[in-house]
Amino acid sequence: MVFENPLLLGAVGAGLAVGIAGLGSGIGAGITGASGAGVVAEDASKFGTAIVFQALPQTQGLYGFLVAILILFVFKTAPEWAMLGAGVATGLAGLSAIGQGIASSAGLGAVAENDEIFGKAMVFSVLPETQAIYGLLVSILLLVGVFKGDGVDTIAALGAGLAVGFAGLSGIGQGITAAGAIGATARDPDAMGKGLVLAVMPETFAIFGLLIAILIMLGIMF
Amino acid sequence: MKPARMNKVKAVILDEKMDSVIRNLHESGLVELYDLTSKLENPEWSSLLFQSSPAEYGRNVSSLMIKVGRFLDLFDSVKVEEKKRLSEILNPVIPEKKKVSFSSADEVISYAETTLNDLENEVQGPSNRLNELENKKNNLLLLKKQLSHLVDFELDLKYLGEGPYTYIVSGLIPKENLSELENNLPNITNNYVEIVKGGSFNEDKEEKVPIIIAILKEYMDIVGTELRKSGFERFDISNVEGTPKENLDRIEKELSESEKEINSILDKLNAISKKWYDELLALHEILEIEKERAEAYSYCGKTERIYLLEAWVPKKYANKIKEIIENASEGYAVVEISEPDEPEEKIPVMLDNPKAVKPFEMLTEMYAPPKYNEVDPTMMIVPGFLMFYGIMLTDAVYGFLLTIVGLVLWKRLGKASEGAHNLGYILTLAGIATVIAGLITGSYLGDFLNQFLGFDIFKTPFALVNALGSSWYIGSSNPLFNIGNIAINNGPIAILLFSIVVGIIHLFIGLAVGFKENLKNGFKNAFLDQGIWLFLILALVIGLAVGMPYIIVGAVLLVIILCMIKGYMNGGMMDAILGAMDITGFLGNVLSYARLLALCLATSGLAMAVNIMAKLLGDSVPVVGIILAILMLLMGHTFNFVMNGLGAFIHSLRLHYVEFFGQFYEGGGKKFNPFKAKREYTMQ
Repeated sequence: MVFENPLLLGAVGAGLAVGIAGLGSGIGAGITGASGAGVVAEDASKFGTAIVFQALPQTQGLYGFLVAILILFVFKTAPEWAMLGAGVATGLAGLSAIGQGIASSAGLGAVAENDEIFGKAMVFSVLPETQAIYGLLVSILLLVGVFKGDGVDTIAALGAGLAVGFAGLSGIGQGITAAGAIGATARDPDAMGKGLVLAVMPETFAIFGLLIAILIMLGIMF
Repeated sequence: MKPARMNKVKAVILDEKMDSVIRNLHESGLVELYDLTSKLENPEWSSLLFQSSPAEYGRNVSSLMIKVGRFLDLFDSVKVEEKKRLSEILNPVIPEKKKVSFSSADEVISYAETTLNDLENEVQGPSNRLNELENKKNNLLLLKKQLSHLVDFELDLKYLGEGPYTYIVSGLIPKENLSELENNLPNITNNYVEIVKGGSFNEDKEEKVPIIIAILKEYMDIVGTELRKSGFERFDISNVEGTPKENLDRIEKELSESEKEINSILDKLNAISKKWYDELLALHEILEIEKERAEAYSYCGKTERIYLLEAWVPKKYANKIKEIIENASEGYAVVEISEPDEPEEKIPVMLDNPKAVKPFEMLTEMYAPPKYNEVDPTMMIVPGFLMFYGIMLTDAVYGFLLTIVGLVLWKRLGKASEGAHNLGYILTLAGIATVIAGLITGSYLGDFLNQFLGFDIFKTPFALVNALGSSWYIGSSNPLFNIGNIAINNGPIAILLFSIVVGIIHLFIGLAVGFKENLKNGFKNAFLDQGIWLFLILALVIGLAVGMPYIIVGAVLLVIILCMIKGYMNGGMMDAILGAMDITGFLGNVLSYARLLALCLATSGLAMAVNIMAKLLGDSVPVVGIILAILMLLMGHTFNFVMNGLGAFIHSLRLHYVEFFGQFYEGGGKKFNPFKAKREYTMQ
């Protein structure tokens, strides 16, 4: 035990979860909002569409908030390092919102031109959310005590959070690819399949991160 | 499981029967006309046939459509927008269909002409008067503006303009040019000039002064040039008597009179619009249909007396179409039905699923319609999509809400729009799946029951698994079973295991379909593309079943080697090394299904966060706390429902598009586009 009160590390974790994820969501929603303002200036009836697309990169901030609440009020008995790791995981992975903002902004632009592409643009814009979901997944696994032992009770838990968190930054790259793929699909609807394959490539690294995080939590090296 | 099989129908039809054939085909809506243009470029064909041009009457129809469009525009511009009540938006009234029976284009055209004439007679009077009044109103407004600048001058306006000896002109001049003008004018007019100035004011960021200039008539031209140089804006005031002030009062009165008359005419036009609007919409539709028919001729080939028509028709309707053509032409036609004579990519694709599955075609088409010889994956999407949706939203109350939303879309809004109908149907089923998932995970607005009523459902046998902890059935004291040294002893890990297992089954199905499809490219291809992964999954299952991890390790090594061999065959050493990485792609596909757990947790976790915050508000804020708590609950749960409802839909779709379709589906067919009369306002 590092501190008298284990909740002290938990509080740091909660702060990191809300803070970093909020940073990501803020930037992402800002990027989408900027293109939303442009679209609305052209056609005021697109306001609703702009709001929907801007909501996408905000979910990361929401996950951060959720994990903070869970740490502070629900899973207070979780191991202290697990709480910190959980906060770091969701917080860092929440930076994927930057990529999602880029993709949503391209999606919004495409929908402003052609309503029919809404569904496809939505699918692409949601891709970079995967990283944030992995971060949330690891946070929950750490908090609810799915795994027992040194993997979650010691500073190793922070390692798990860092693994999935930093790997979650691949979401930025994925967002850029997805934005390009939306443009391609808007031009040629048949490009959707190939575009999806290209856009999920950067996810490989998020999966590596998730895998290593799970291995750490399992305590496989001890 | 494949798109509908197509036939090609070829018909040679006597020219005077052609009109009847086209009309009947158009009403049946079962064929897609085949454009013979490119075939007719072939010299062998063009020596026999030439290309037919669109029917003559098409031009008349087009000009009538323009007229109808103009009336519709007029009516739209005078229409008073009635506020729609929510119930009307949610339950749109379907316009009554007008019954029509025309047997030739000429009948349609003469009917349209008489109708438009009647309408014109009724509309012309008021509409002309409206134009007149608006012109008058604009002139008055202009005069009013000009006079308002002259209001300081006590001048009878009748003197403006040319008199017997003098010329008086009024207008505005930029202030900076004024003094120069005042110097120049006396010089060029031998001092026979009088300039009166008013107070300056700002217009368009420029300071301007109203002036009146009186000169001897003989200097008119030379002064005119000078004035133009100095940027003078002349007021065009004529036929007006009295001082500006008197006139302003008069104009005010006239304006309000014409405003009144304009309103009464608008009311009259509005009444006419009410009477005619539906009729016009129906007329527009009838003309649109005739236009399509006229254009259909240009798809055909023609000789002196006959037309050659080719069309795609779904196999099951082929005989019906043959009958239609033969009846419509009263036997003056030769019809031949044949198998497709074109390469695969030119054959149109019509998805052909039972009615219960049909709305899901929307999801397939959003990705890309299948190729003609590819599997139609719609049927396979249904169970997976609904199950994933249910797991990701996982809440009985949210599911119930979603079912209601779906039903409203399906049964009410769906009457007017096919998209809403399909989406509503899908959401209704997804809602039911969510309710079932919610019952299994004991989630009713998250942990609402426990937070506010103190009823912990997970201590009772009414919920199978707790997404956020342990339950009656699965808990730390009674784990389901152990895998290696991991005990399945709480909700999240149980759902994670379930997600991965479901994912592997899902991938297995996709791979198996892909394997079967790929067999036509030879067994080797099928084995290297899909077979090895099928083998890996089977090895995994057997290895776990008999408890021998070595089987799995061996299989993994074997698969890596096979992937390297495949890569080597494709492009040498470099590809071989990359091939070794294929296994991570497969692993990624499997792990991607872990999002089922993550989203399930996100829904119930956020619902719980809302409940906790509401409870904090209710307990800590005195008096109004209870209201704040209720507001928090309403807003928070609505937000969570919408966000995660949307998320569940898209992530469920993603698992199909990326992970599932990736194993077997390519898509990219050309959609069947039937030659069909679109009737919204009319019926035959």
